[in-house]
Amino acid sequence: MTSSKKTKETPQEPAGTSERGQDLSAKAFIISSIWWFVISTSVGLLLAIKFLWPEFMGNTPEFTFGRMRPLHVNGVLFGWLLAVDMGLLYYVIPRLCGNRLYSEKLGMFTVIAFNLVITAAVFTTLGGVTQGLEYAELPWFLDIGVTVVWVVFGINIFGTILTRKHEKMYVAIWYTMGAIVWTTFVYTAGNFGTELFTGVNQANLNWFYVHNAVGLIFTPLGVALAYYLIPKQTQAPLYSHKLSMIGFWTISFIYVWTGAHHMIHGPISQWLQTVAIIFSAMLIIPVWTVIVNFFGTVSGKWDLVRRDPILKYLMTGTTFYLLTCFQGPMQALRSVNAITSKTDWVVGHAHMAVFGAFSFFAVAGCLYAVPRMVKKPLYSQALANSAFWFMFSGGLIYFVLLWIGGFIQGLQWNDPSIPFIDTVKFMAPFWWSRLAGGTLIFTGAVLFLYNISRTFTYDPASATATGPTPTEGDTKPAKAAV
Amino acid sequence: MNLLKKTDHNAMYLFAGVLGMFLIGGVMTTIVPALTEKSWRQETKGTRPYTAAQKRGKAIYKREGCWYCHTQQVRTLEADRATTRSGWRGVKAPISTPGEYVRDKPHMLGTRRIGPDLARVGGKYDRSWHRTHFMNPRHLVPGSVMPPFPWLVKRDGGKEFEDLVEYIQTLGRTINWRPDNDYER
Ligand code: HEC
Repeated sequence: MTSSKKTKETPQEPAGTSERGQDLSAKAFIISSIWWFVISTSVGLLLAIKFLWPEFMGNTPEFTFGRMRPLHVNGVLFGWLLAVDMGLLYYVIPRLCGNRLYSEKLGMFTVIAFNLVITAAVFTTLGGVTQGLEYAELPWFLDIGVTVVWVVFGINIFGTILTRKHEKMYVAIWYTMGAIVWTTFVYTAGNFGTELFTGVNQANLNWFYVHNAVGLIFTPLGVALAYYLIPKQTQAPLYSHKLSMIGFWTISFIYVWTGAHHMIHGPISQWLQTVAIIFSAMLIIPVWTVIVNFFGTVSGKWDLVRRDPILKYLMTGTTFYLLTCFQGPMQALRSVNAITSKTDWVVGHAHMAVFGAFSFFAVAGCLYAVPRMVKKPLYSQALANSAFWFMFSGGLIYFVLLWIGGFIQGLQWNDPSIPFIDTVKFMAPFWWSRLAGGTLIFTGAVLFLYNISRTFTYDPASATATGPTPTEGDTKPAKAAV
Repeated sequence: MNLLKKTDHNAMYLFAGVLGMFLIGGVMTTIVPALTEKSWRQETKGTRPYTAAQKRGKAIYKREGCWYCHTQQVRTLEADRATTRSGWRGVKAPISTPGEYVRDKPHMLGTRRIGPDLARVGGKYDRSWHRTHFMNPRHLVPGSVMPPFPWLVKRDGGKEFEDLVEYIQTLGRTINWRPDNDYER
């Protein structure tokens, strides 16, 4: 199993028995993050309503648009996505290493501390306490909290990896380690480094952070999960080790150069814009290698996708990832950017990346890991399927209509004979669709929360569950399934 | 290729590899320009530091999240300069330059234009226009989706409103771009 030859690889699992307290931090992180998912999407929904009735909740300072927006963004990015990724990695990494999490105590510390930080962030953002930089709104004392949690999380994961039983590190481990290293720098640069600069220098560092928060935090964590889950759930070996290597090492080199593409045509040196554009185009390489690898792994097993909600999330997530990362380089081209930049196109794009791709991977991870941790089938397979259709159709409406509306609005802005306010009124039908899409997404999130909570709590003796019993749990190495 | 194989097994190699790869691009795109691009830190001639009231106004602009809906940059696009965009009353807006932002911390360049760009809005409207606009933007511009900010005008006898307008009137004013000097107060 440890040979580095071209043997087909699948994520390995330990053949141990479970102990008391095992996976405690994974379980706690996952369930708390899903609550933040529901809370943060509900805030998103309220914001969508404000676009149609600007006076809605509008006369109270705490609930004005400019304070609710950072609550939504930080809530989904940190409260939900970063937290659920951490929780899922507490489950995945020990299984890939053939051991237990280095320390459940440290794990529980990160869960509690992180949830305190996010709870405090609700009050600071609504109270108008902000650093005034996107994704970096949280005040410095909460930034320190996030940093401490991240370092402890890193120690816990590295500790698990360094004491691993399997010599060879599976791809998911590379991405996780990469993300831990990169995030430390990216987060520090974006939340503390920006304090050292003003003006355009600060803006450059700000967008270095914003872009890499998605590219070097959420992308590698999401991709790590998918690399684990897709071979597992299809019981097929990973399509190509070589593609994994190309994908990983190219993303670790290329991604970090692209931050300045947020300032194309802006008050910033041309050479840096050009560098960002070139590297944005090169991102096609790491993304497509990953996508080919995922699709290759599933090829011949597409009938499974039809029945299984986990694979549905994984494969639509992969498709959304492909589309986002096709849009990204396109939007960076000067001619396209002149139309799409600063419009709702970008909002559609961002939601496809963070919700359509990485949140779908994370939801799949929860549906996979929670039944295995509680050693019961998922509470309801049907509910998981309908949650998927709510999230998928809602997401699609949301993304596509904002692209169309945003693109046309961008064209209108380029025609100075159209007064600005007319381009605002033009967006109304698209903002209605966003509210509709958002409502579907929120409904899906609530169903998902209910399903996972019930999976924790229901009594298997009463046997109301409809899902299949989790087969390959802790006790059965996956290789046997190939 | 052999080196890459090594990273398959050796966590320390992998660690060093991902850090090295990242640092090349990270340094080249953030630290290098900070050192080489003088124009990014050289203030436009004639820029005055913000007064205490303007500073308070900018803090309100930050606190209320105006910057989520308004950019402050006239890009190198002819359309941005138009009199129906960042320009006004028949004069096209000059393109923004890095030197205009040096005193800004945090920067307020923005990423989204739910409302119009504000880079050159200083002097476009007078105080009473802004008062009505903040009380309810739809009184002046039907169809606007800008939120109302009545508390700025009503609390403490409108002190916050006064400060905010002080700040708004500085926008675009580090240069004197209007031939007739027709700025409102
Ligand atoms: C939800 C998005 C949104 C927020 C938040 C917002 N605005 Fe606006 N703003 C708009 C829209 C849309 C318009 C265009 C219609 C209008 O004039 O009301 C506008 C117009 C303006 C104008 C007139 C610009 C011109 O050239 O005619 C000014 C000045 C302005 N806003 C200042 C502010 C300030 C200051 C804040 C924060 C206290 C703020 N806005 C918050 C959306 C927003």
